[in-house]
Parts: sequence; C-alpha cells; structure tokens
Amino acid sequence: MRSNDVLGFIFAGTLDEKIPELAASRTTASVPIGGKYRLIDFVLSNMSNSGINNVGIVAKSNFLSLTDHVGSGSAYDLSKRRSNLTLLTPYGGKTFSNFVETIYNMHGYIEHCREEYVLIEQGNVVTNFDYNALFDFHSKNNADITFIYKKGIIPAGYDRPITLDVDASGKVNQIFVKPDNTAEESDFMYGSLLVRKELLMNEIRSALSLNRLDIKRVIQETIGKFRVFAFENKGYTAFISSINSYFAFNMDLMKKEVRDELFNPKRPIYTKVRDDAPSRYGLESKVKNSIIAQGCVIDGEVENCVISKGVYVGKGAKLSNCIVMQDAIIGADTNLNYVIIDKDVQIKDGRSLMGFDSYPSYIAKKSVV
Amino acid sequence: MQMFPKQEVVAMLLAGGQGSRLGVLTKKLAKPAVPFGGKYRIIDFPLSNCVNSGIEAVGILTQYQPLILNEYIGNGQPWDLDGMHSGVNCLSPYQAIKGADWYSGTANAIYQNINYIERYDPDYVVILSGDHIYKMDYNKMLEYHKEKNAACTIAVIDVPLEEASRFGILNTHEDGEIYEFDEKPEHPKSTNASMGIYIFSWKELRKYLTEDEAKEGSSHDFGKDVLPTMLAAGERMFAYPFEGYWKDVGTIDSLWEANMDLLDPNVTLDLKDIYSRNPMMPPHYVSPDANIQNSLIADGCNVEGDLEFSILFSGVTVGKGATINSSIIMPGAVIEEGANVQFAIVAENTVIGKNATVGQRPEAVENRDEWGIAVIGENTVIADGAFIPAKQMIDTDTEVAAE
Repeated sequence: MRSNDVLGFIFAGTLDEKIPELAASRTTASVPIGGKYRLIDFVLSNMSNSGINNVGIVAKSNFLSLTDHVGSGSAYDLSKRRSNLTLLTPYGGKTFSNFVETIYNMHGYIEHCREEYVLIEQGNVVTNFDYNALFDFHSKNNADITFIYKKGIIPAGYDRPITLDVDASGKVNQIFVKPDNTAEESDFMYGSLLVRKELLMNEIRSALSLNRLDIKRVIQETIGKFRVFAFENKGYTAFISSINSYFAFNMDLMKKEVRDELFNPKRPIYTKVRDDAPSRYGLESKVKNSIIAQGCVIDGEVENCVISKGVYVGKGAKLSNCIVMQDAIIGADTNLNYVIIDKDVQIKDGRSLMGFDSYPSYIAKKSVV
Repeated sequence: MQMFPKQEVVAMLLAGGQGSRLGVLTKKLAKPAVPFGGKYRIIDFPLSNCVNSGIEAVGILTQYQPLILNEYIGNGQPWDLDGMHSGVNCLSPYQAIKGADWYSGTANAIYQNINYIERYDPDYVVILSGDHIYKMDYNKMLEYHKEKNAACTIAVIDVPLEEASRFGILNTHEDGEIYEFDEKPEHPKSTNASMGIYIFSWKELRKYLTEDEAKEGSSHDFGKDVLPTMLAAGERMFAYPFEGYWKDVGTIDSLWEANMDLLDPNVTLDLKDIYSRNPMMPPHYVSPDANIQNSLIADGCNVEGDLEFSILFSGVTVGKGATINSSIIMPGAVIEEGANVQFAIVAENTVIGKNATVGQRPEAVENRDEWGIAVIGENTVIADGAFIPAKQMIDTDTEVAAE
C-alpha cells in the first residue's frame, strides 16, 4: 500500500470533556500548545510528512478556532491540486453523538474519497510519527485492521480504556475494555487505527443496524472475524487527557531529548504562520529554562515557562512554572507561579497568582486580572 | 500577448548589483538577499512596503548570484504577491531575436523589461533598490507626485550637514521642485539626500529610457544619465521629504549598525507588518545556564550561553559558557562552548569552535583605525581555540585552524 492511498481522518474533539477549561471555546485539536502550535499540528504534520494527501477533520462543535487555524491546509502542504483538507461538521440536523453514528454520517465523504484505506487519528495526541512504518507493517502482515498502541501506564482521563493482548508477531489475540482506569502498565490503544475503507463502512453499517452504538464493542468484536494487528508507537508521545497532562507536556519541552524527537528537522511540525518579529529581551530580563516563541517582549524574570507568540512580560514580573498563551500581557511587578494563562489575558501590574504543581490554576481567555 | 487587468502602479526593484562592499556576505548571494534583523532578508522591507502601499505588481531585476534570491521570493506568497493576474516576478537578463545583453545599468535593466511593465498598462512606475532598511507608504509619495503634476518624484531624507557629502544631494526650490543634482558634493548646499526611491509617470519614463538606450556613451544609469537628462529637458521633478527610519546597509559597518538599531529602544523602526518567509522551527529554548540581555532571538535557537546586544537568527545554537556581545549570528550557526564572539557578523551555518575568539571590543585595539567588525563567511569552521581579530573577514566554506 502507498501513503497516497490512505485517507487521514482526525477526530478534533477527543476527550474535550476532560479539559473543560481549555476546550471551553475550542476543540481539543485547536488547544494552543508548546508556544506556537495547536494540538492538531502534530498529527496533521505527521500525515503530511508521511505522504498522505487527503485529510478529513471531524469537529462536532466549537470549531471556529479550528477552521481559523487549519484554513485551507496550505500550511501543511494539504491544499494543492492533488491534496486536500476537509473540515467535517454536523449538517442537516445530524448529530455527532457517538463514533459509530459520526462515522456513518460521514459515509458520503468517506466513500467519495478515492483512497482505499482510512487512518483514524485522535486530536489529543502529541507525537512525531512516521506512518510509512505502519503502512509497511500492515501490508506485510496482510492485516485487515492495525491498531497503534503504546506500552506503559494508561494516562489519567481515559475512562474504560482499551488494552490489547498482542503476541510477538504483532497479532492481537484479545481486546479488553477495562471497567475503570487503574493506571497500570499495559498495551494501551488510544484510538488510532488503519483499516480498509470498505471494511470500516461495512462494520459501521452492521453495528448501526444492530443498534450497537458502543464503538469499543464494535472494536472488540473484530477479533476472530478479521486479521487484527497492533503496531507499537515507540516514540515520545503525550496524551492530552487532563489539565495536568497538558501542563506536564508543556514542561516536558524543557528536556532536550523530547525537543529533539518531536521537532526532528527531517519531519518538521508545521503550523499556521504569523509574521512575528524575533523576540526581544530587555535590559533587565532574566530567562531560565524556558521555551519562548517569537513576537514576545521579555522585560521580567521567567523560569520553567512556555511563553507563546506575542506575549509581553513587564519589568519586575516574576513568572515560574507557567504556560502563557499568545498575546497575553503580563504587567510589571506581577508574581505568577503554576498558572496557565489563556490567549489575550491581561494581568495588571502588581498582581500575584499561585497554583500548585499538581493543580495549576487557569485564567480564561481574554480575562483581565 | 495576454491582457492583464490594469495596475495604476508597477514597482520595479533593482536587485542585480553585487554589493561588493559587503565582502564575503554577498559572495554567494545578491545583496537584497542578505539576512537582516533576526529573521528577515533586506528585500523584505521594500517588498512589504509595496504590499502595505497597495502595489500588487512588483518586478525584481536580478543579475548577480540570483539563486538564493529567486528561491526566497518563490511565488511571492509570504508577501501576498501571488495574485492571479499580478504579483512578484524575478526578471533576469534574457536572450531575444536581436541578441542578448546583461543589464548594463539601472536604466537599461528597466528598459529591457518595458514589455513586463506594459502588460499592466500602468500610469506610474516606482523604482526601488534592494539595499535599504525603512518602512514607507509609497502611496503618500504617489499622492504628492500627482499633486505636483510631476514627471518624476524622488524621495529624500534630511541628513546631518556634516554627512551630506556622502550622499546624492538634491537642491530644490521652496515648493520642492528640483533644480540641481549634486552627487556627493564637497560643499553641500542642502541636506536633502536621495533615498534611491523614484516615482515616474510611465509615459515620460518610457520616452527617456528609449532615448537613453539609443544615446552613444551613456552608462544607462538613472542617477548619472536619465535623471540629469530629464532635468535638463525641463521636466517637472520634485523631492518628496520622508521622515522616519532609513538606513543604507551597503557596507559591513552600516549593516551591523542597522541591526544594532533594532535593539535600541529610541529607534523608531517597528518590525510590525514586515513579512518574510518563516522557517518551520519550534520556539527557541533558553537553558538554566543562559544569561540574555537586550537581544533579539528567532525561532529554533538553543541558548545555553550569555548574550548581550546581539541578534540570533533562526536555528542558532549557543553552547554553555559561550559569550556573544554586540554581534549578529545568522541562521543555523553554532557557537560552541566557551567561545567568545564580539563585534562580529557570523554568516549562515558557520561553526565557531570551543573557546575560539571572534572579534574584539574597540577598546581592546590600540590603533582605532584598525578596529572594525569581524565577519565570518557562511559554512566556515573556526577551529577550537582559534583567534579572529577585529576587522578580519574570513571567506565562505573555509576552515580556520588555531595558531
């Protein structure tokens, strides 16, 4: 199989109920992350870098920021004669209440696309992944379905997680749906899978006709019926499934090995371009162990922070362990510790805000403190 | 010929000169493509000015080392110059039935591209050069040109009297009408220096370009030939006074100064609305060991050393204990641990080895005349511990061993 025979299909709203603050006015996929990115940049760049030409993004609500960010897809090289990015939103009064119905409601789009395979991906995953290895694995094993899985502790936020019993060859013997997430080591499936389009639509149709709306059950029932395989994602992967995992991922970017892997120059991560000037450090700036995007003016002290594009940090301000999203204004002589500051927030001079390592506090978009 | 929608104004940007005074920095690229200000190239300034002034058709005249420039301009998308019927085009010398000629002068370059200009049936043509850093609304100048019913309008900037003899000075009547050109005068009569920005009414320019082309002995240059001829013929020529930041970056010193001006809070040049191609790199990282004051840093840098009064372009690495002062480090350069770079320009992808020293402070040099900015060409490796004194210029693609 070739990558241009694969349709990328991304769910933009994955686990948005687990990050209610961040996703209050946007989809999970368009949550700002890592100083200049939105979550979806990673999966879209992976698809583009792997040679996938056609991508559909499913968004059930709150998709204004998503449409604004991905636009025509040109930033990801997905807007050409032979490449496409399509935003799939509810229409004609249909709802996207669960995966089975959603996929079925998109059958017109999916069946119209000329690709033979569908790669389903989730909008809450941060990784730099070459899908070509997955495609080779799928072909070599003559698989009907291949899941991507991760070995390790299941991240908090995944309720009723799916775990796999995989043998040495990668064949899946059994699929478990855990009644609760006990955060144990396992081979954990996070909603990424590769399947032939025809098989997917047949299974969805049959599930609907039997009124089986639980996608996890549909997945479980593939065992014994099809050649089901699983491919391990061995690279650095962050699952944004809680405000804590969001915070932890941003802080992981201070580690060189994480940056080197995620921002591999051979497989760049693309994002919508904004013409910001380089960031300016003032005479009294003091920055330690931080990630700083362009267009910032830093006159204060910044330590262990991720500062997004266009942020202003005033004189005498002390920021530690903070994530500051774009165009926020942090006034002079402020003192902030463990705070997530959303877009366009203004912190007035002299204010103090403290969160805690395990409980970062959050300031909503456009607030004035 | 295909008909294009009419454009009132077409801009022609002269980008073919070598810029030999920039030495190794223009060995492999044309002067307008020289990196500037942490993420730009010089040409971003006139190009952004064009789009911000509503000029949608821009011809770039290229001749010397055009590869990097052509690649950078591409389809013009970063500047919104990728319209269906207009946009940016790189115009290089070409072969035709009657033969082939290099561009022999600035006026000849425009003359050879009369067909490009005429496609748009313009009323006015703006002539720009690719070696100045400034922000200007060409529209205001055009309004002035129309108001004065001029054949030619030249933008001028007020320079200090003691510096006026370095410039082309325009002497004008009170209403701004030019009566005399004074090229680098010993005893300047005024302080109106030409900025190298001309607006012509196209019909007049076309006439004078054609006449000049036929003239024996002409060097086909705007400043030397076309403008004096127009003045002698009694055409209405006006000086348009510009106020704001403007700097010629044709020499190492002025290029360095213009970069340093970006760090000066008293300088009025604001980089907002200057567009450029953006490399796809993550935000920069500053380590716990770094100390950064009064500097500009672009995406993709990794800073573990000390920075003061310096500019880092995208993807620069600064090792632990390295110190950089009053310097410009271009994309992809690596300053290794303990290296010391001061009063220097380090070009793209160059490596400064561990504990090497590049450049010196003015006070470290006994004879001030021997002091100057040190320049290291692109893709060069300066070995660990090597010393490059002030004012030295190191070639591109070389290796410099330690003594």
